[in-house]
Amino acid sequence: MKLAKVLYASVAATVLSAAAGKSVAQTVSVGAVLPLTGASASVGDDQRRGIELAVAQVNARNGVLGRKLQVIVEDSGGVAATALGAARKLVSVNKVPVVLGEFSSGITIPVGEYVVQQGDVHINIGSSSPQIRKIGDGSFSVIGLDDLSARFAATDVFSQKLKDVAFIAPNNSYGQGVAAEFRKRFEALGGKVSSVVLYSEGQSTYRRELQQMSRSRPQAYVYSAYGQEAATINREAYELGLNKTKWYGIYLTMCTSDTVPQAAQGQEGLEVASIGQGGKSYEDAYRQKYNEAPKSSFGSYAYDGVMVAAAAINQAGSTDPAKIRAAMRALGAYNGATGTIAFDAGGQRREQPYDKVRFDTKVVSR
Amino acid sequence: MLQFLVDVLIRTSDIMLVAVGLSVVYSLVRFPNVAHVQYAMLGAFATLGLTRAGLPFALALAGSCAGIGLVAVVLNTLVFRRLLRSGSSIAMIGSLAISMILIAVVLGVAGSRPWRYAPTLSSPLQVGTTVISIDQLTSIACGVGCIGLLAVLLFRTNVGRSMRAMSSNPALAAATGVDGARVLNGITFLSGVLAALGGTMLGLTETVHVGLGSNLLLPVFAAAILGGLGNPLGAAAGALLISIAETLVTNVDFGWVVGGSDVYVPVTYVSAASFVILLVALLFKPYGIFDREVRRV
Repeated sequence: MKLAKVLYASVAATVLSAAAGKSVAQTVSVGAVLPLTGASASVGDDQRRGIELAVAQVNARNGVLGRKLQVIVEDSGGVAATALGAARKLVSVNKVPVVLGEFSSGITIPVGEYVVQQGDVHINIGSSSPQIRKIGDGSFSVIGLDDLSARFAATDVFSQKLKDVAFIAPNNSYGQGVAAEFRKRFEALGGKVSSVVLYSEGQSTYRRELQQMSRSRPQAYVYSAYGQEAATINREAYELGLNKTKWYGIYLTMCTSDTVPQAAQGQEGLEVASIGQGGKSYEDAYRQKYNEAPKSSFGSYAYDGVMVAAAAINQAGSTDPAKIRAAMRALGAYNGATGTIAFDAGGQRREQPYDKVRFDTKVVSR
Repeated sequence: MLQFLVDVLIRTSDIMLVAVGLSVVYSLVRFPNVAHVQYAMLGAFATLGLTRAGLPFALALAGSCAGIGLVAVVLNTLVFRRLLRSGSSIAMIGSLAISMILIAVVLGVAGSRPWRYAPTLSSPLQVGTTVISIDQLTSIACGVGCIGLLAVLLFRTNVGRSMRAMSSNPALAAATGVDGARVLNGITFLSGVLAALGGTMLGLTETVHVGLGSNLLLPVFAAAILGGLGNPLGAAAGALLISIAETLVTNVDFGWVVGGSDVYVPVTYVSAASFVILLVALLFKPYGIFDREVRRV
């Protein structure tokens, strides 16, 4: 009995190590933690597609270090604890040198902190809270943070002669960051933010929050919310008749990805530009593979995240995380699907182009 | 003022049917059935499934109510009554286990995405500055109608009389020829129907998603306890009181306290408000405000 067990164990170990050795020899693995389920599932799926396109692109051009690139995608469920479990698995079981993700700032920060503590490289592909800057050495962002987006939004709203606005965002690192930045910028311009509501995530109704905001009779509602929560907010705003006032969405494709088009009709907002130099070819590749237009702008950032990681690994000439870190810092300007990516001293994207957009059955530029 | 009334009614109809169902079954099977709120979630999904299978909404709703009623009876017979022999706290833990299993099953089958019955939104009706949607009107009408029917059932029919007899003195009721098992099954079925109806209405005004039942847990228990557990119409009144408290807390402008305007209690703290009401009420009326006969908990 005991002997049989030992025998089994040793056979299993041999097979496993053989398999592992084989995969190490033929591929270079990178990890990603994405919200494939939960409130941001639509964006998460788009990120996954962006990663798939990037992997296909890299492997079509000889891969990395002469081997095939592979991205191991794990689901975060939109929950920080699950995301941390996934990151732990990627780092300790798959031994990946680079982890990309997540989407929500509140989840990206703990994931990033864990990855950086383990000595690996973290690439933020979708979060924009100013708190991201504090993750620490070894974390890089291919997307601009909200000090940039809030300034853009405040200027854009104020230039439309809207002086009194109400603001709603999720009560997490992202929402708190963007709310504070927006208020600061908007009031600096001379506007007034009459109410700031930070909503609890994952509720089935936000009717009361909306009613509280509407009592000050603002000239416009500025909001930013995750796909399915935004769907509830938009629907209840429609049912309360609040959609007759202007709505301005920060990251409008995120805000409207799950909303009934009827309820979002006429909204304006900003969106991270996905059409840089390489943006067109990204969109073409996306349409060819998935037979539809990109669902959000965040797929292209995931795409760029993988491309930057591949470039850094190639430049490092090794999968050693410390060497990849150094290579990331020395990368210079990289021309991706979202424009020119260059990191500042803190590893954050230096400049971020934004588009002014409008919702007219889908998000279009204005 | 009208808006306040509408808000209160919308919130009341959200929790009333489920609270009444919980209370009605408690009068016969004495343990707090935590899984009851999950019947509401299951009912909302059953209606969704049937509408997706091509049935018109009303038929789907009827099918869902019957189905959940049966589920309630089966679970009660196979699980809760057996556990209840070991004590009401054991049965409560059992119901917690059942509710976790139900959540896991729905999560596996339907995922965590919220769903809606109809792809388009109905235009809201506007009376003065008050806005209400057709779905919300439907939900309020359904809630009020069901409570009316239930009152008639309890106080004007033989079934109601037997049920009330059973709840106040089971031995005496059995001696006078009341068929205990039949009444029990009937009432359990009724509670399942009410839960499915309440869940579907909630799915109609909000969204159908897996957290629907768990979100209901606290307000529903607060309403049922406030009304006196085991007193169905008391639960309806409890739901109304909780809704008034919640709406008041979120609607009152506390600007005067800090000398500004538009200062409101964040909605996150709203359930705390209903529990303060519950606590105060229970300190003075330990068996609920509308307690009549329930003395043995």
